[in-house]
Amino acid sequence: MPDWIQIVIRAFSLLIILFFMTKWLGTKQLSQLNIFEYISGVVLGGIVAIHVSTLDSPIYFALIAMFIWFMITYLVELLSLKSKSFRNFAQGKGTVVIQNGKIMEDNLKKEHFSTDDLLESLREKNIFKVADVEFALLEPTGKLSVLPKKENQPLTSKDLNIKLAPEREPQTVIMDGKVLLEPLANLSLNTNWLETELDKLNVSIENVFLGQVDTHGQLTVDLYDDKIAVPSPTQKPLLLATMKKCQADLELFALATENTQSKQLYEKNSKKLQEALNIVEPYLK
Amino acid sequence: MTVGSQVKSCFSSLKSIEASLETLALQSNEIEASEAFKKAQAIMKEIKQDLDQQVIFLSQEEPQYKQ
Repeated sequence: MPDWIQIVIRAFSLLIILFFMTKWLGTKQLSQLNIFEYISGVVLGGIVAIHVSTLDSPIYFALIAMFIWFMITYLVELLSLKSKSFRNFAQGKGTVVIQNGKIMEDNLKKEHFSTDDLLESLREKNIFKVADVEFALLEPTGKLSVLPKKENQPLTSKDLNIKLAPEREPQTVIMDGKVLLEPLANLSLNTNWLETELDKLNVSIENVFLGQVDTHGQLTVDLYDDKIAVPSPTQKPLLLATMKKCQADLELFALATENTQSKQLYEKNSKKLQEALNIVEPYLK
Repeated sequence: MTVGSQVKSCFSSLKSIEASLETLALQSNEIEASEAFKKAQAIMKEIKQDLDQQVIFLSQEEPQYKQ
């Protein structure tokens, strides 16, 4: 067998083995690798590179070496999952860098993290003033996790006491002009429903690039032909407007009438309608 | 527009609101949302009943506009 064919075969077979090994070790971002995974990644790559080009060494050497390195990493990961103290040793622990708004200089020094590094990491989190930080932790991966002081945290609906309708993930039901049946079934809807909704929007399914349904059963589509305007959903805003109008009408009737009994009836019902409005308003936005 | 016809139009709006709420209650996958719609729908039903009486009362009050 000529050498070059051997190299091709070795390269492909080792690449495939390496691919499956990496896949088996779990999916992690390159930046999230811990020390062991990093080392084994480099070494495995080295083993493959050497054995692909060095034809003197038999290929099973490569397999043995790769298997050993794979097993080491695999065992380390397995042990890390089981024991907390081993995990601390193998993967490292986070270091508190800022606590109660004060920088921990000793911890910074221990991690070889300079003040400039700290400022840079904070800037990456859009914080330019150290005084805005309540707590910061240097993760074993080298990333900085920051908890800003309460007054510097973004405002949430909880802070404002606004009730919002719960919303779950939307389901993609049309992709490239084809209906996806599984997501549709997840929402307990069927193709007939989809056809009706598409008819309402006045588009044909072949023209739909992407269609999604939200928690409340509202279909939104993106078309191949961007010149066609798709009507935006009107049902809910319309309902809200009608409810508000009716409520105002009832108040108006109450003011206009001179019959006390009718007045009372209108007032009572306008109050009731307001109550209903308060209940459904978060869901109609 | 007489008072009677105004109240009548409001009454029909109420009917449409009730129907829309029912549709939304059935459509929504979120239990909380469909409960809210159902609650609102029940209130709308009460208002509708009250106003139904009022429409009849007004049509008696305004016989000259009755067709």
